[in-house]
Amino acid sequence: QEFQFGPCRVEGVVLQKLWQAFWAMKDIVQAQDNIMSVRLLRKEVLQNVSETESCHLIRALLRFYVNTVFKNYHDKAVEFGILKPFSTLANNFFVLVSKLQASQEKMFSTRKSARRRFLLFYQAFKQLDREAAVTKAFGEMDILLSWMEKFYQL
Amino acid sequence: DGVAVLPAPQNLSVQSTNMKHVLTWSPVTVPEEIVHYSVEYQGEYESLYTSHIWIPSIWCSPTQRPECDITEDITATVSYSLRVRATLGSLTSAWSTLKHRFNQNSTILTPPGMEITMDGFHLLIKLEDLGPHFEFFVSYWRREPGAKEHIKVVRPGVLPVYLETVEPGAAYCVKARTFVKAIGRHSAFSPTECVKVQGEALPL
Amino acid sequence: HITEDTSDLLQHVKFQSSNFENILTWDGRPESAPDTVYSVQYKTYGEEEWLEKEGCQRITQKSCNLTMETSNLTELYYARVTATDGAGRSATKMTNRFSSLQHTSIKPPDVTCIPKVRSIQMIVHPTYTPIRAQNGHQLTLENIFQDLLYHLKLRINHTYQMHLEGKQREFEFVGLTPDTEFLGTIMICIPNLFKESAPYRCRVKTLPDRTWT
Repeated sequence: QEFQFGPCRVEGVVLQKLWQAFWAMKDIVQAQDNIMSVRLLRKEVLQNVSETESCHLIRALLRFYVNTVFKNYHDKAVEFGILKPFSTLANNFFVLVSKLQASQEKMFSTRKSARRRFLLFYQAFKQLDREAAVTKAFGEMDILLSWMEKFYQL
Repeated sequence: DGVAVLPAPQNLSVQSTNMKHVLTWSPVTVPEEIVHYSVEYQGEYESLYTSHIWIPSIWCSPTQRPECDITEDITATVSYSLRVRATLGSLTSAWSTLKHRFNQNSTILTPPGMEITMDGFHLLIKLEDLGPHFEFFVSYWRREPGAKEHIKVVRPGVLPVYLETVEPGAAYCVKARTFVKAIGRHSAFSPTECVKVQGEALPL
Repeated sequence: HITEDTSDLLQHVKFQSSNFENILTWDGRPESAPDTVYSVQYKTYGEEEWLEKEGCQRITQKSCNLTMETSNLTELYYARVTATDGAGRSATKMTNRFSSLQHTSIKPPDVTCIPKVRSIQMIVHPTYTPIRAQNGHQLTLENIFQDLLYHLKLRINHTYQMHLEGKQREFEFVGLTPDTEFLGTIMICIPNLFKESAPYRCRVKTLPDRTWT
């Protein structure tokens, strides 16, 4: 089993473990998101992404999650007593980012369209109050995992 | 915070075999007293992004024994920092931290235990269950020159599992190894076991 | 102004989903007056409006079929129920965010077990769901889950098992003893999402071997 985002291949991350960790905190986390009329990872961000584009996009999204979302949600994870599943996701996302980093030299010209998609997500994130945006992004990890699953080879 | 007059645990080390990871340390002894220990961990993410935060081990915060099964705490293939401290009533020792960080990809993978039996002309294998991380690859062949080697992914379980319908009078050999997808590694093969099938070999 | 506690009017508002049949269920007060009525609304996550579910307005039963309203697999949904009793008291409660892909449980497959003299053939029939593709075709579980596979076991007189596994729908256990009974179990597995159906079971007897009679 491995992730194959176009030219970028990542081993050593077991998708089922990520789902298990997210489901352990899904309802607690999503219940904190009261802005039900806004979805950050909208169709325009994730739908019809080409193979070669997928590596750029997942790298940008995962880096944002590791550097911004997880970092700013950490205290809430302690508060809600979900540090263990939080740590599972954070460390596995960290592995993905590190290994995707290594394979960037195979990247192709689809960087621009992937960048556009990421900016759609990022602009929606910036329009919200900081804490609400972090909570919403953290609660939308199942949308991200569902999309990543398409690139998971059994 | 308790005054650290209690000595900190020493000689921390991790033994890891077949993805079961146990942290051990030298016990802190106080005559006629029961000392408790607390274990905490940090993955690479925590060390880099939230280094002030340590996560209590699921089974050993606290524990009385000078060891801790940290298998369920290790949930990513990154290097983990681990620390232990002793507690006696209100007395608390300093933290003792594992010298070298632990990564589950260093686990020792042993060849799987297997049992080969026959039921009539059915060749059967029973494999020890090593937990959810493991897949079992079984190779088997008919012992004769140029025989083709077959490979099957077999699930461990309570009952033996059918491998092949064999021919009377022939001999068949089997070996098995494990694969752990989280670390992308195989074990060595188990010793090969061969069985002779009763009955007369079929005329050609 | 004292707001009256009406939380007892309504509890456990949640989706129950099986093979993408999504039913909203809830509980009222154990001895709730028969004149308590319930109204259902639903909403797509990321959109503004709450929509009223036709056919589930001011109803007395405690369930509502939202299968068609929640049938887009790339969307997530909320539903909420408002309970109103005879005295005009009311309470509203909402579900957690619902994703049918994650939440739906899988029913046992439909299988035909065909005994022969020295083998048993098993044919798994496709499982159709209420989900439709853009071209209107009904989707099967195989269409929806790319990692779906079937896992078959044949137990042989309580001493050992034969296993077969794969994405195809036709399987055959071979090398069996004629005129003997076997217990077969067949499950649908969706590894990525930890989904596994309850087993379909068939008890089958191989045919007698009449070649030498």
